[in-house]
Amino acid sequence: MKQAIAGVSVVAAIALSAAAAPAQTKTITLGASVQITGAMANPGHYYRDAYQLAVDQINAKGGIAVGDQRYQFALKVLDNQSDVNLGVRQYVQLITSDKVDFLLGPFNSNDALDDSSVAEKYEIPFVQGGGASSQIFARGYKYVFGTLPPADDYFGSTIEMLGKLEPKPKTVALLSADDSFDVSVATGTRKLLAKPGLTTVFDEQYAEHNSDFTTLLSLLKSKAPDVLLWGGHEPEALNFIRQAKSLDFSPKDLASFTVGVPTADFRKALGKDADYTFGMTVWLPSATLKDDWFGDAEAFAKQFQEKYGYPPDYHVASAVADVETYAKAIAKAGSLDRQKVRAAIAAIDFDCLYARVRYAENGQIDLPQTAIQIQNGELVPVYTDHFLNKPQYPVPPWNARH
Amino acid sequence: MLLAQILTNGLLLGGLYGLMALGMALIWGVLNIVNLAHGALIMLGGYAVYFMFTAAGIDPFAALPVAMLVMFAFGYALQRFLLNLIVRSAPLNTLLITFGLDVVLTYLAQLAFSADFRAINPSYAGANVTVLGITIPLARLAAFAVALVLAAALWLLLERTRLGRAIRATAQNLVAARLYGVDPRQLYAVTFGIGAALAGAAGGLYGVVSQLTPYVGTNLTVKSFVIAIMGGLENPFGILAGGLVIGVAEALAALYLGPTFTDAISFGLLVVILVARPVRSLKGA
Repeated sequence: MKQAIAGVSVVAAIALSAAAAPAQTKTITLGASVQITGAMANPGHYYRDAYQLAVDQINAKGGIAVGDQRYQFALKVLDNQSDVNLGVRQYVQLITSDKVDFLLGPFNSNDALDDSSVAEKYEIPFVQGGGASSQIFARGYKYVFGTLPPADDYFGSTIEMLGKLEPKPKTVALLSADDSFDVSVATGTRKLLAKPGLTTVFDEQYAEHNSDFTTLLSLLKSKAPDVLLWGGHEPEALNFIRQAKSLDFSPKDLASFTVGVPTADFRKALGKDADYTFGMTVWLPSATLKDDWFGDAEAFAKQFQEKYGYPPDYHVASAVADVETYAKAIAKAGSLDRQKVRAAIAAIDFDCLYARVRYAENGQIDLPQTAIQIQNGELVPVYTDHFLNKPQYPVPPWNARH
Repeated sequence: MLLAQILTNGLLLGGLYGLMALGMALIWGVLNIVNLAHGALIMLGGYAVYFMFTAAGIDPFAALPVAMLVMFAFGYALQRFLLNLIVRSAPLNTLLITFGLDVVLTYLAQLAFSADFRAINPSYAGANVTVLGITIPLARLAAFAVALVLAAALWLLLERTRLGRAIRATAQNLVAARLYGVDPRQLYAVTFGIGAALAGAAGGLYGVVSQLTPYVGTNLTVKSFVIAIMGGLENPFGILAGGLVIGVAEALAALYLGPTFTDAISFGLLVVILVARPVRSLKGA
């Protein structure tokens, strides 16, 4: 008898909750495995923070309308401990046991390259803003989209700028790491350098996570290039620049670095030694970039800084664009069906705080890089397809600074 | 000239490598603990110097002795209250617990210090002198000198003091040492403390020539391990020589084989040495 009563109450409870359901908001869960700890934890937390703020903001503004039903985003972020293999296992877990609806990406091309294969296998859209390597998009995958522009072209605007500088640089050294992103950077840069006017006098690769550059610096110094184009990640860039100073190496005209220069952390760690360094970014927090949820990029940057205590760089903006891609695509598809949402993402075209977002046939966005320079501790945009500000050029040697 | 420059780079780097390995070799040789948390101790020493420099404006080289004292106390306590409990159990247990310590220290460091990249950047960090066309970074030269001084100090301590004799006696024959009045619990804690202090000094210097995150430790543990085996655990100058060999070998590998081969060379050398002189290199262990 007792069991019967319990049974009835369970049935009643189920019936009640079913009746109450339409009034509740439903959730769409976005899953990601990100570097929250480990060697990549610093850039990794850009992604976690960006996803969280984007999800909170979209929910606060009423969520997403799918048909006549309103949905809220939920976020499930796992820590891959900066381990590519663990990341792959966690994406499988997110799909098979956590049953997330759609996937967001990790930081870094190496990770995105492997993680995206899981998404493709399970046919779940994977919109990622952390992997720029062309390798990710060269496999004919249907479910993988990227909001960082092709790594091959990171030095595109910089090399174009070299042709317009006085005195005109003649010799170039190319140094890059051996991970997926930097291999892609180097391959693309070699093509860009093949034009007349510039001679490549040095082209070397170093091991990712290398911390000692003294041999390479001595080799570089012996080649005395006018320009150094450097591919790698932030910790390596910091080591390289500090060791370059201690061995008194600076290229005659300028040095440009793929990653690190736009971040506040880079300037903080190097202090005055960051000055004159060139780099690139696809994004600057400009009020001209309008956004449906944050107003514009400038307002977003302010809000982000207030919440997390550091200014956002292009990685952060790219990650927000990933979440917004889902918000737009799901609303447009009017469904949570993965095929329909995938089709909506492939066809999407919208303006947001990051850029005008639309994906090429291979799934990757294409955006121009803005060449930047640190001038007196400030990040100054220098060149896109024309000069935006006057570069401090040629860069003085170390002993002539300050 | 290029070769001379690259050899100089390798030697200066090797001195720092040697200092990193000194503490590990001491602890390994005396306590028979392969301290997998050694790199984490180096990292903590680096942060200690970093914060003394950035928060209190203390010159990093002046901060080194303070960092060493702090790390000595930390190492002493670790051994006295934790590692002494398992020091005589199976080697696997000591490996497990030091591995666990490494994980705990690393993650606590991220909680406390965040994963931001930091560099100890005094105004002279990039200063250099040119001698006979060879550019010598002053900070690296100073780090090399500190490594030499500390290796000599450790040698003197081990060879010329009562404490040193007790440490060596314990390493050679624990039972006999006890009969002569050595209290191993105390002695182990002091030895581990000295090892941690040496790691702390290495960390401060590493922060000056390179950069710090809570995760730099793992690679440094591995490097110290290789050098400790090469150097042979008994003689501090042997360890320093091991560091120099690795430093120069890496520099030459980067020059002649390509920069991606540096790790392959240091581990390749380890294999060669283990095959060529297994008895001597394991005697102290």
